[in-house]
Amino acid sequence: MLGASLNAAVGRGAILLGLLVCLFGIGITIAGIRQGNLKALRSSAYYAYAAFGAALLAFVIMERAIITRDFSLAYVQQVGSRDTPALYNFAALWSALEGSLLMWVLILTGFTAAVARKFRSRRDDVLLGWAMVVMFVVSLFFFLLTFGPANPFAVGPTGVTDGPGPNPLLQNHILVMFHPPILYLGYVGFTVPFAFAVAALITGRLGEGWLLETRRWTLYSWGFLTLGIILGGWWSYEVLGWSGVWAWDPVENASFLPWLTGTAYLHSVLVQERRGMLRVWNLSLVIATFSLTILGTFLTRSGVINSVHAFSEGQVGPWLLVFFSIIVIAAVLLIGWRGDRLRSPGSIDSPISREGAFLANNVLFSLFAFVVLLGTVFPLVVEALQDRRLVVGQPFFDRMTKPIGLTMLFLMAIAPVLPWRKASGEILRDRLFWPACLGVAALAYAVIIGNDGWAPLLAFALGGFAAGSALRQVALATRRQGWRGFVGRANGGMIVHLGVIVISVALASSGAYTRSQEFVMEVGDTVEFSGHTFTFEGLVLESDPVKSSLKAQVRIDGGPVYEPARSKYIKQGMDIGTPSVKTGFRHDLYLTLEGNVRPDDTEARIKVFVKPLILWLWIGGGLLGLGTVLSAFPGKRRRPEAPVSEGLEARV
Amino acid sequence: MTTVRKRIKSAPGWLVVLFVFVVFLVVGIQRDSGPSTPQERIDAVSQRLACPTCDGESVFESRGSASVSIKKEVARLVSAGQLTDDEIVKTIESSFGEDVLLVPRSTGLDAVAWALPVAVAVVAVVGLVIVFRRWRREGSVHASVDDERIVFEAMREAQRDS
Amino acid sequence: MSERRRIGPIVAVAIIVLLGGFITVLAVAAGRSTETADSPLIMKPAPAVVSTTYDGDTFDLSRRRGSWVVLNFFNSTCVPCKREHPELVKFVEAQQADGTLGVELFTVVNDDDEDAVRKFFAENGGDWPIVRDDDSQISVAFGVAKVPETWIISPTGVVVERFTGQVTAEILGATLEMMSGGAA
Repeated sequence: MLGASLNAAVGRGAILLGLLVCLFGIGITIAGIRQGNLKALRSSAYYAYAAFGAALLAFVIMERAIITRDFSLAYVQQVGSRDTPALYNFAALWSALEGSLLMWVLILTGFTAAVARKFRSRRDDVLLGWAMVVMFVVSLFFFLLTFGPANPFAVGPTGVTDGPGPNPLLQNHILVMFHPPILYLGYVGFTVPFAFAVAALITGRLGEGWLLETRRWTLYSWGFLTLGIILGGWWSYEVLGWSGVWAWDPVENASFLPWLTGTAYLHSVLVQERRGMLRVWNLSLVIATFSLTILGTFLTRSGVINSVHAFSEGQVGPWLLVFFSIIVIAAVLLIGWRGDRLRSPGSIDSPISREGAFLANNVLFSLFAFVVLLGTVFPLVVEALQDRRLVVGQPFFDRMTKPIGLTMLFLMAIAPVLPWRKASGEILRDRLFWPACLGVAALAYAVIIGNDGWAPLLAFALGGFAAGSALRQVALATRRQGWRGFVGRANGGMIVHLGVIVISVALASSGAYTRSQEFVMEVGDTVEFSGHTFTFEGLVLESDPVKSSLKAQVRIDGGPVYEPARSKYIKQGMDIGTPSVKTGFRHDLYLTLEGNVRPDDTEARIKVFVKPLILWLWIGGGLLGLGTVLSAFPGKRRRPEAPVSEGLEARV
Repeated sequence: MTTVRKRIKSAPGWLVVLFVFVVFLVVGIQRDSGPSTPQERIDAVSQRLACPTCDGESVFESRGSASVSIKKEVARLVSAGQLTDDEIVKTIESSFGEDVLLVPRSTGLDAVAWALPVAVAVVAVVGLVIVFRRWRREGSVHASVDDERIVFEAMREAQRDS
Repeated sequence: MSERRRIGPIVAVAIIVLLGGFITVLAVAAGRSTETADSPLIMKPAPAVVSTTYDGDTFDLSRRRGSWVVLNFFNSTCVPCKREHPELVKFVEAQQADGTLGVELFTVVNDDDEDAVRKFFAENGGDWPIVRDDDSQISVAFGVAKVPETWIISPTGVVVERFTGQVTAEILGATLEMMSGGAA
């Protein structure tokens, strides 16, 4: 029992330490800035390391408690179990509210320490000082959450020697190891550009400096967020058994909202770098992205909205709401206060230009984000005003976002060929011809192989068009620069575009052309569906301490056997279906076992989905990741003092 | 060679591309076939219904017992073959209430959810047009001393930052 | 440019007002729960449902006109249903002792193991009819979201009340008394 109380004491001590360190970090850094005390200012880095150390200690202690099954802690009683396999037991840390906040703290202080380390040569800079202050404040808030309302080290009732383990859905696929941490890396990473944006506002140094400094941080955060979202879709596909990757669930929306504003920012920031314009807009986007991560956390972690992902209600709701309010109000006031310095010199000459396209892109992304936010919070509004229950789900989001998505694809085709400043009709005619041919070819191919429906067909045509533009850019760049034609922002960005296009086409196709049929089969029966044969060879019962699984053995096309299953998780008393997927480049065969089955049954209800192009979602995700990394490498450098009008294209 | 390329990419070439595009699109849209198995109809209908016990999930996704019951009823109505998809949705709505629909209604407060995005889109486009107009007007004016100072400062800062 | 300077504060105020409203809505929503016993069927004729009981009799709701009908939707794997059961037993006993209203209670079972249900009733008492709802027709017709649910249907065949979650003998009795008093 001594070891047990030790975990609680050390963990809580570590969080208290982190809290105090952040508090001192804020005080000393501000004092250093105001008094011009360089020694104090420089010491902020050590506070950042110390806060990270404290968070790491708390995290390690929590893992230790979970791994050693220390059931004296309430949290371990909630998510721990003697029988959970080691891997899922490790991931149990982030399977409920308190632990996931602990992971948030760890990543956040990790980013703070990384910023301190990365900019160590510029420790005397006041801008950096303020950025550190902002990051300390955010860290302080999350330390407070884990110290007060969501304390992971609370001691539970005595005498408990075993727990239920994590939610069964969080212990039957390896992706639970990766999806949450990677998503959090992206989610939390947006704190860095936010901190620098606020610092720029406070110091009044509103030039392009802070943008350039945080460019890669933003890019990596965006990349992790993207990857996290895609892994989440993959998890949903492999685990939930309804054969989809995205359900417009509030938690999914909460991760998608900052992605949308973050993506808008990544584009519009180019206009500011290049032309010094859109300063207020870019600041607003960075601040919106960060506050949307907090808002999303509030929506999904406070119990206002229920969803498959939502953890049971805690007391963190009011805290997050207050923090969100402080952020947005402070941000609006700061921007208002600095308004005079934010006036952007210059103007955009023509809407048909690269910067015009970026503006249109931003309008679309903001609109998209608005629709998603509206759909997510609209039930709350109706409930508050009319005390009536309303559910807003997939049909609403599909109908509203389809036109936006298609317009985005169209813009994606046009924008990469547009020069800065102004484009002539001739340039467009010339540069867009082959991409347009590719688009029409994609459409023709789709129609010839029998596809129908206006939305998916338009998606294919515009996808081909956009892919043509992206490929054109990469082809020209590699012809000119060899392998360097793949790196740099413009070229890496085109690889990202290709990834997005592949994903869009795959989503359009799997959304519109999924075939499904349910079969009740006796052992030995063979059915044919969509050009494949399925033979039911019987039910197999497999039991382990955690669950007993009934697997239906289905032989596909006389080849290997696939085993969709239903598992009863003994401790939770939950019955979970697990699909089995035969993956292919053209389509996946997705099998589920339906209904209540008993081991001695001789027949089974098997549902078969034929889902086209699903594999390409993951391939597209890979392209996105690759493109992000390529973009982060420095491409052809421009001298900072070069006139902004000097484009790379101009030198071709 | 260049002239041939140029000629392909000029008006006639584009007209051909546009023509082929329209033809294939029309052919594709014309043969919109819809669900090909009863199960696909069941899936399509159950995707439009909200699981009564779990916020936000559709009956299609949910494994809750109420959803399973609704799915059974939908399957029965589909195999009876007398009702259209909309009528099936209406039947379920008549016993579960309108919160079983996954979309806001088109009247009253709910209509805001449909109208607001459209309004925002219109405002955004109009705003963009106005901004471009203004820029075009200002574009003819030369940079003021004030502007040049800002440019100069920005460049100096960029130099310092790099 | 002076034009723009005048717009700035207005935009800022507008944004703050909008955000303030938004945050208020969120704060209000955070304090509510969505438990309601609403149903579009209230004060409407009860759905015509036909099924069989565990005893092999036909159950036809429209034939039960003339007496108050209480339908209890039950599942033997649902803990609140089991907890509620003694109250139902008490309710039936009280009604039998009183005998003026002539209330008929039916348990409706959907998606369950018949043996388990029989065993539960044998062990915990309750000799009122149990209606099969294997194809979930009754549950869907009434829009049952989550068992236990208890519905009251008047002698004229109109749905008058829906309870979600556990009920007590007292609540059921009092509701019926009030309803029948109102009818008389």
